[in-house]
Amino acid sequence: MRSKHKKRSGITLLSYFFVVITIIYLLIPLIATGIYSVFENWTGIIPRGFSFQSYIDLFQDELFIKSIFETIVICIVPIVLTSFVVLLALFATLVYFPRFEKYLQLICVIPYTIQGVILSVSILGLYVEANGILSNRLVMLTGAYCIIILPYIYQGIRNGMQAIHMTTLLEAAEMLGCSKIKGFFKIIVPNILSGVITSSLLAVGIIFGDYVLIRNLAGSQISNMQIYLYQAMKTDSMKSSAVFVIIMLITFIIAVIVLNLSDKKKTVKNTK
Amino acid sequence: MKRKNIYILALMPFLALILMYEIVPLFTIIIESFQPDKGTGFTLENYHTVFTKLLYQKAIENSFFISLISSFFGILIGFLGTWSAEHIGKGFRRLYMTILNMVSNFAGVPLAFAYMILLGNAGLMAQVGREFGIEAMTNFDLYTKNGMTLIYVYFQVPLASLLIAPAFAGIKKEWKEASLILGGGAWSFWTKIGIPIITPTLIGTFSVLYCNALAAYATAYALMMNGLSLLPIQVAGSYVGDVQMRKGLGGALSVVMMIMMVAVILLNNRLSKNFQKGRVKA
Repeated sequence: MRSKHKKRSGITLLSYFFVVITIIYLLIPLIATGIYSVFENWTGIIPRGFSFQSYIDLFQDELFIKSIFETIVICIVPIVLTSFVVLLALFATLVYFPRFEKYLQLICVIPYTIQGVILSVSILGLYVEANGILSNRLVMLTGAYCIIILPYIYQGIRNGMQAIHMTTLLEAAEMLGCSKIKGFFKIIVPNILSGVITSSLLAVGIIFGDYVLIRNLAGSQISNMQIYLYQAMKTDSMKSSAVFVIIMLITFIIAVIVLNLSDKKKTVKNTK
Repeated sequence: MKRKNIYILALMPFLALILMYEIVPLFTIIIESFQPDKGTGFTLENYHTVFTKLLYQKAIENSFFISLISSFFGILIGFLGTWSAEHIGKGFRRLYMTILNMVSNFAGVPLAFAYMILLGNAGLMAQVGREFGIEAMTNFDLYTKNGMTLIYVYFQVPLASLLIAPAFAGIKKEWKEASLILGGGAWSFWTKIGIPIITPTLIGTFSVLYCNALAAYATAYALMMNGLSLLPIQVAGSYVGDVQMRKGLGGALSVVMMIMMVAVILLNNRLSKNFQKGRVKA
């Protein structure tokens, strides 16, 4: 009995050891760069000259403020557009032609596999010589963002509709004299709103972390914080480390909110 | 009739979006890969260039091996981490999962920058090495294929862990008890029951990681610019850059890249299916 106990604690100890090592491995690049950003000089073992100067400089840089602003602006349109379009499409498919759903799913999963590079060059190649609004760089970029976030928006809305048993609810509403369309907007949409918000936030995270689409499609028309970091990297590592810290902070805040929102949903489901 | 109209009306915006920005662009890129850059007609010249020119051969080779190796190590570390997380306290496991979730978004330009600060030529590790006279640390070169693989492993680990974790949750306590009652220890439980059960998940995870690494652009570009020939960098280079747009060549490179993804996905699906079939028979 005792030997068994010993063996178990051996496994536990080993497990703790391995998890701690993995956490250290994952956090070292973040912590080191964070420390780097608040010291003027780190050429020995110990960093010297604590200061927030690089952050102060950064927030006085008009280009940086502009890049923050543009990062936010470029997020909004694709997310609202894609959520709306997918809501309608999934509603129509699930209610009227459920057997087509697998094709819808396939279309929505393709961007997850091919990702940014091929998507951006294919859109660029097709529209760069087109006439009118289609050749506008911002329109191209917005279209590309819609597609790249499609898998996440689709999954979020799909899960939401499944969780509330949409078709049954709509049938019930119809029996009580409410049309399906009215029922969809009055009953379904409000009920899956939290799922839509979670997947939208996930999409914010993806667009926020994008470099390839904006670089290939937007040219010099618009720049986000990733582009700013890339430019700064080449000249000033102090300034870049401050940009890095701000980017990572925003990324983590988004990730933690998404995690909490989806956890909450799970616990609600469990208590039911 | 009315039902159908409503259906089509509601589906319209979606169809417009995916046709304009997903389906048509992808088809165009495939068609263009069979056309010469100047004029029209059918040609295999672009593919000939891709498979004969050293630059592109190297790109395919580098991309393939970096993706393969980084996926392997990503799964290995992710698996060991998630396995360990099953044996630790609840609070600590939650912390670990939160960290994994957070760093799963840590990739691209910021990741390349952090590794330059840490392991670059004038990076922290080189300085520590100099201080203590450890040559291996001073001379480590991040700007090589191995350095690149190292960075790729970093962003594969959280992704692998998050994909594998649900499979561990699916292993029921009762199975462990049953195995224990029949005289099996922890080792035999994992080798004979646990790992076989999660193998399909591992295979699926491998597909995702491999595609993820193959398509990764920002990390490689930020670190090396064009210093290391990789497929996504060559693809982007044929469309955006100083030279004129080379749609045919870029198209062919893109098609090769897509085939490399689809081939591995199909192969893995097959493996996974065979594996599950075998399990049923046994």
